Amino acid sequence: MNAALGLSLVIVALAVLAAVEGARTARRWRIGRSARVDWRTGLAAIPKRYLVDVHHVVARDPYAARMHALAAGGLIAGSVLAALGLMPPLGHAHLFWGAVALAFLVALAGGAMVGRRRYPAKPARLSGGAFQRLPLLLAAYVGGALLVALDAASGLAGPLGWLGLAVAAAGGFGLVRQLADGPMRHALAGALHLAAHPRPGRFEGERATALIPADLDAPRLGVAVPADFAWNRLLGFDACIQCGRCEVACPAFAAGQPLNPKKLIQDLAGSFKAEPPTYAGSPYPQAPPVAGLGGPERPIVGAGALIHPDTLWSCTTCRACVEECPMMIEHVDAIVDLRRFQTMELAAVPAGAIPALSESRYAEEPGGRPLAARTDFAAGLPLPLIAAKGSCDVLLWLGSGAYELRHGRTLRALVELLRKAGIDYAVLGPEERDCGDLARRLGDEATFADLARANIATLSRYSFRRILTADPHALHVLRNEYPAFDGRYEVIHHSAFLDELAADGRLALAAAPAGRLAYHDPCYLGRYNGETDAPRRLLDRLGLERVEMERHGKRAMCCGGGGGAPVSDVAGERRIPDLRMAQVRAVGATTVAVACPQCAAMLEGVTGDVAEVRDLAELVLAAVEAAPVAQGAAR
Amino acid sequence: MKTLVLLSDARHPVSGRPAPTATELQAINLARGLADEVSGLHAGPDAEAARGALGHGLARLEHREIPAGHDPLPSLLAAIGSEAPDLVLAGRRAGAGAQTGLLPYRLAEALGWPIVADAVALAVDGGVLEVIQALPKGARRRWRLRLPAVVTVHPAAPAAASFALGTARKGQVGAAIGIPAPLDEPAMEERPYRPRPRLIASAAAGAGAAERLRAATQAAGPGGRVMVDPSPEEAAQAILDHLRAIGVLKPASGR
Repeated sequence: MNAALGLSLVIVALAVLAAVEGARTARRWRIGRSARVDWRTGLAAIPKRYLVDVHHVVARDPYAARMHALAAGGLIAGSVLAALGLMPPLGHAHLFWGAVALAFLVALAGGAMVGRRRYPAKPARLSGGAFQRLPLLLAAYVGGALLVALDAASGLAGPLGWLGLAVAAAGGFGLVRQLADGPMRHALAGALHLAAHPRPGRFEGERATALIPADLDAPRLGVAVPADFAWNRLLGFDACIQCGRCEVACPAFAAGQPLNPKKLIQDLAGSFKAEPPTYAGSPYPQAPPVAGLGGPERPIVGAGALIHPDTLWSCTTCRACVEECPMMIEHVDAIVDLRRFQTMELAAVPAGAIPALSESRYAEEPGGRPLAARTDFAAGLPLPLIAAKGSCDVLLWLGSGAYELRHGRTLRALVELLRKAGIDYAVLGPEERDCGDLARRLGDEATFADLARANIATLSRYSFRRILTADPHALHVLRNEYPAFDGRYEVIHHSAFLDELAADGRLALAAAPAGRLAYHDPCYLGRYNGETDAPRRLLDRLGLERVEMERHGKRAMCCGGGGGAPVSDVAGERRIPDLRMAQVRAVGATTVAVACPQCAAMLEGVTGDVAEVRDLAELVLAAVEAAPVAQGAAR
Repeated sequence: MKTLVLLSDARHPVSGRPAPTATELQAINLARGLADEVSGLHAGPDAEAARGALGHGLARLEHREIPAGHDPLPSLLAAIGSEAPDLVLAGRRAGAGAQTGLLPYRLAEALGWPIVADAVALAVDGGVLEVIQALPKGARRRWRLRLPAVVTVHPAAPAAASFALGTARKGQVGAAIGIPAPLDEPAMEERPYRPRPRLIASAAAGAGAAERLRAATQAAGPGGRVMVDPSPEEAAQAILDHLRAIGVLKPASGR
């Protein structure tokens, strides 16, 4: 009997303990509803999903990526090798223990990086508590094991090996104890979440951002209690490692509204456990107090439960948290599921959202305005109705922004451009109902489904090649969410469409100097649809001095206008559009280019030191008008 | 405490689609503050709009089917007789049709119950109903009256609940044949609204341009006659003379 053999036995014992803890953790997910999971494909795909998809997210923070590779890789390699030491030929080989020592040395370096990130000062986004103890346990286990391996490799068999064994056993036991309710849970739940992910399309190159339709015949609509979630959603909540990347990305958190995606996931992960682990991260800013009572069959949302409704209604559904999450958790799905219960069962929606939902339902337009008035913005411009033409090449979907003066200017510019390029276009006119985006994000799936069916029935009567829209929210709903209702269309955003026209030479552009310009990516175009290149290509054709904000592309910050947040109007310490405008000014831009009516409205509402807000269509029209001669030549 | 909310066959003012009218939904909201289960009552050819109220907090809807254009009052009276509510709530006026707003008054008259118009808040204490009534310019008046009673609801009452599919699915509809009651009054003529030209005060009719402009743009002065400490007979006579002069009362018959 020597220390090395002892280490091998300890690791085997720890593995047995870990299996017991793992089974205890997994049993808790069984309270959730059943979900269709393709286990064979999922389990086989774990390595690819981990090494490609997860790494793609983790690597945005190179320090964290190296830290995790060293710590996890070294720990697993060292432990597996040390357990193999039970086989006599290996267990007596000095060289073998040298290899084990090397693996644990790598793990110790990773553990040191974990510690350096947290000591002496822990960044605000990281959680404390058990997470603060993690580097110590890690150091004890891999450090102790390193001593044992060095001892065996050098053939000393001295007291140092026994000391190392004791320290490694204590550290290892501590780590296993963290498996069910501590930081180490992410390893088990994270791996299984990759296999049983509720949106497997995410790993196969799909955007997979469309909300999943609610079953309107279910006995309970939406999610009221943890047991209403599908089991693999509960698994997803347990996968959270509290890295706080979502917290940094969340616009509502930045604005001091009572939402913190990290705490939300922790509350949901704790909601179905008898004794939820204590949370030691940032709270919901300014959140009204709640009773904090949870349980598998207890309501999740409410002053007497875990999560205050204000937290739910602060979300702009911008998906920044989902984009940043290395554990591939679907925060927005959870929020919309919870909202669906609040809206469709309790009618507990924020006061400001009631008129929008009622008018969406009874007037088919969230503002309650006449559908025929949608085309009023175009006074004087020819706007042919598809009902009169019967068919057209491009059907222009106007969206609810058409009623607003600001977006009306954008649409006028777009229509002018269509005329100049000689496009065969038409609108639905009074037959265009609201696409239902607002109702759906506010949890009113019933009204959304009614609007979707009505619009699809209208569209099925006409023939057109594709739908053009200047509203990314409508684009997302028509392109990605109507297919679930059997409406399949080719939908193109005006940024891509104008870029196409410019590339084909159908629009002649001249440089229209407008100072430094920054492009603000709409969430529903960039993150939801992955379209970040076409708007930039288009802007670069205009010969402007374009600069990038720190947060741009798929990682851009929301303007605060999505998900019904403007009508829900949850109070914060700051306004989201003010923060975004400050980011525009921070890169010295005097013009901010937008591509969405919501973004235009939110950013136009900022006062003080502001950049001019111009839609892409307006900028392109200015460039076309600056080139009258070239235009004639191009024709 | 049993509360019944009258529901009209309303149409959305902009879209024209069947939609419960706002004050009726607010009435449901007020009624839910008094009792957990609120019933609705509709008399008409179909209950499509009234059915929508089930999603706004109504637990049960009683539908009395009568032909289009018939007077709903007899059917409502019969239903109220069998339901025996303590309180009947109604909107200010129906959400479609002639919208005279008279039905609650005719109902209260036929039932012999008191009626309070324009409620914004309700409370019940031992068979006594306390109504906060909305008056112009934000003024409020408190009424206390014995139940049963009829109360109409003002738009300034708390906002109605939003539509909830779950509640709508649970709502029950009881349908029965109502009492046909053809209206015998002459059919009303409908004309598009036309703003009337403003009359220029006769004093300015033949005067110069400046006077006519002043008369056309300035609000008419208070006018009238000030009587200081008159005797009751004198005062009454002056009021009668004025009412006759402006045509409210018939000219004095040969006296």
